[in-house]
Amino acid sequence: MKWLKPGKDNREERMNFVEYWAEYVRTHHSNDWSRQQNIIINSQLQSARSVRLTPRQYLEIKGEICRR
Amino acid sequence: MENNTDIRNMEFVDNRTIKLDKTINDLDRFVLKFIRILEKHADYVIVSGYVSILFGRSRATEDIDIFVKGLNKESFDALYTELKNSGYWCLNAESTDEVYSYLQEGLSVRFADEGETIPNFEVKFAKRKSALMAFADALTVIMADDKIRLSSLERQIAYKRYYLKSDKDLEDAFYIENLFKERINLGKVELLQRMIEDEMA
Repeated sequence: MKWLKPGKDNREERMNFVEYWAEYVRTHHSNDWSRQQNIIINSQLQSARSVRLTPRQYLEIKGEICRR
Repeated sequence: MENNTDIRNMEFVDNRTIKLDKTINDLDRFVLKFIRILEKHADYVIVSGYVSILFGRSRATEDIDIFVKGLNKESFDALYTELKNSGYWCLNAESTDEVYSYLQEGLSVRFADEGETIPNFEVKFAKRKSALMAFADALTVIMADDKIRLSSLERQIAYKRYYLKSDKDLEDAFYIENLFKERINLGKVELLQRMIEDEMA
């Protein structure tokens, strides 16, 4: 697998990482990539759940209707 | 296509079916539980961010976008009742008439675990041509005993790259394109690009 190429700016850096990670997922066993991915997803979900926004507050941010 | 183009742990059973062997996470569990109810009442496809996340993209999301083929009021009532009885609530309104009227107007409504706000499912009736067509070439992903219906990889790329266009969406499109590079029909992506641009014009 190729090394991760540093980007010239933040956007290129992110795209290079996306490409690198896609190659990692293509070539590694799911136990390897899903274990790492699950750390991010489970922790982000836990963190999001701890922010106690009401439906009204949340939908206002989204610009959507709330009749609750 | 031949199996030698399969990605590790993602087996293409045919052009529209992928068997995915992965360790499921909390978000997958959240999606699968909702889909088991939804699929009893409606034809659906999951679109947008969760598609790339399901296939390994290293980010989470607060909402899962779902297109549903239009339901009559009676079928929607049955779905809504089962969702409520299974511990979900609609963030937008309580009354089934009101929730249904939003969907009929082409607006999306959000369902979450009762008392919670995120994560949630953003559900919309498919009305535009491009949304309706997502059902025709949907992808089925098989994970253990569950099946999930997703919009096609090409549609996913085109929708994110030419319609949504945020940094996050462009990255999602780039990820899908790189992950499935031998499988993506670039001609189809171009056709979808034209359709999306026509709809936006």
